[in-house]
Amino acid sequence: MEYKAPLETYSGRVRAVTIGRGKKALRVGGSNILPLHYFEGAVPNRPVIALEVDDNGAAGWAGSAVEPFRDVVHDPVKWAGRCMELGADLVCLHLEGTDPHGANRTAAEAAGLAKKMVQELDSPLIVYGCGDDKKDVEVLAAVAEICRGENLLIGPAVKENYEAVLRAIVDNGHCIIAQTPIDINLEKELNVKLLKQLPPDRIVIDPLSSALGYGMEYSFTIMERTRQVGVVYGDTAMQMPVIADLGRECWKTNQAKLDREQGMLWESITAMSLLLAGADILVLRHPENCRLLKEAIEGKL
Amino acid sequence: MILIGENIHIISRSVSEAVRNRDAAPIQALASAQAVAGADYLDLNLGPARREPEEVASWLVRTVQEVADLPISLDTMNPLAMEAGLKLCRKRALLNSASGKSESRESMMPLAVKYNTQVVISVITDRGCPPDVDSRVESIMETVAYANDMGIANEDIWVDPIVLPVSADQKQVSEALEFIRILPDLLPGVKSVVGLSNVSNGTPANLRGVLNRTYMVMLERNGLYSAIADVLDGELVELNSGGLKDARVLIHRVMDGEPVDAEALPEKEKNYVKTARILMGDALYSHAWLET
Repeated sequence: MEYKAPLETYSGRVRAVTIGRGKKALRVGGSNILPLHYFEGAVPNRPVIALEVDDNGAAGWAGSAVEPFRDVVHDPVKWAGRCMELGADLVCLHLEGTDPHGANRTAAEAAGLAKKMVQELDSPLIVYGCGDDKKDVEVLAAVAEICRGENLLIGPAVKENYEAVLRAIVDNGHCIIAQTPIDINLEKELNVKLLKQLPPDRIVIDPLSSALGYGMEYSFTIMERTRQVGVVYGDTAMQMPVIADLGRECWKTNQAKLDREQGMLWESITAMSLLLAGADILVLRHPENCRLLKEAIEGKL
Repeated sequence: MILIGENIHIISRSVSEAVRNRDAAPIQALASAQAVAGADYLDLNLGPARREPEEVASWLVRTVQEVADLPISLDTMNPLAMEAGLKLCRKRALLNSASGKSESRESMMPLAVKYNTQVVISVITDRGCPPDVDSRVESIMETVAYANDMGIANEDIWVDPIVLPVSADQKQVSEALEFIRILPDLLPGVKSVVGLSNVSNGTPANLRGVLNRTYMVMLERNGLYSAIADVLDGELVELNSGGLKDARVLIHRVMDGEPVDAEALPEKEKNYVKTARILMGDALYSHAWLET
């Protein structure tokens, strides 16, 4: 008799989220499988890779991560174009320059840049604020407003500011990044609050990504549990795609700054691990790792 | 179910101030209020009682006994305070608590024998709190056997499975529940007790009551004998004396895995159903569990 491997099926599925509009639109999520178990069920969209661009001239970046972009780091729009040429599925703009403890650029400046990038870029866009929850409200609201209708993925919305960020997202037709500090219960709580005003296909979960050696296993566990709770147990408040914004975490380690090869390994191993844990969007810095991870996603490794 | 009033607790600022100043009035007010509310025992929790353990314990026991004619559950990790308090208890006291830890076996259990008290024995051992039902069983069997050898009968032992906060470790909540269910088969004759409010530790204050009450109904159904609880929560006492029948039945149905349409229910019942699902581990906990 022919052997047939048993197949698990699950009651839940990850909700598909569309980022961008028209020809630029990209869909993430939508599968009813555990991470990379393509044989288990429907996989309308495989995980995607974003490359990171910042508005602060790559200040503080490790040299090896800047290398492919050295000539464009002071022109974020060109930098974003380079990311797409080098194989990214989309671009993730980090508005580091708006940090009140740093360059403290205004919300209007940041919004202007986002607008220009949307106009000139042939890809959907993720926009992260600097992480200061008060400044982010100003900056993200300005970005949302000026890019009205472009359906960007904007965040982070956190416990402290989600009401204001959410309003800007709802009013201007974008998707939101719900960020919580590596805690499954707080993650669900924020999702529940957001779901009161936004459908699940406009929310992406950011459970926070830590780098290899700096707590990656905590991020891994939370992403893994998020998938299990959403897909296996069918918890509808936990079925949004997950974003792993990990490049920045890896390249700021001493190990990555010390040596190119170490940096490349730090980012690729962290990315591979969080991919296995269930991330749907990986944000990386180095295009070589973007290629490597794409091979992994396609099952060629 | 036997209710042990939890409110005279050294963690409460008003209690710790009153104890420090030997101010009887606030303590006696709490004791009387709990007695009126229907407490069967009064828990006097002194914590580690580092300063003047004997003086504090005897003062507190005397002060409470002046106004309340209830047996006392004396709650401290300090054997000196424990002994000083037990000496003065007029009614047969509950020593709260002993455990499988070596220091507890050596210093607490002998006091239970010497003063002929009943004794709370928890599943904790030198290795900490057991993580699941099987290891709870293993540790309690060993500790109770030790207590029996000292001359403490099963009938005088109140086993504590250790309740942990649902917001910290959701799985432990259903493990403790299951442990209580199988306890009579493991150790015939023993009683059981939980620190009920610990289930809601870490949960926003206005939401703690419904967690405590729902868990109480669930534990009681699984055979729990007593709970150290907030007897000043009127709804909790009402539930314990057989009131709120609809809510109780709904909680039981959730425990049995029966389908319940929570949305079709009135607010109060709906909240009990949602809470029972969380405590059973059917849905992931978040502080917003009543909003989903």
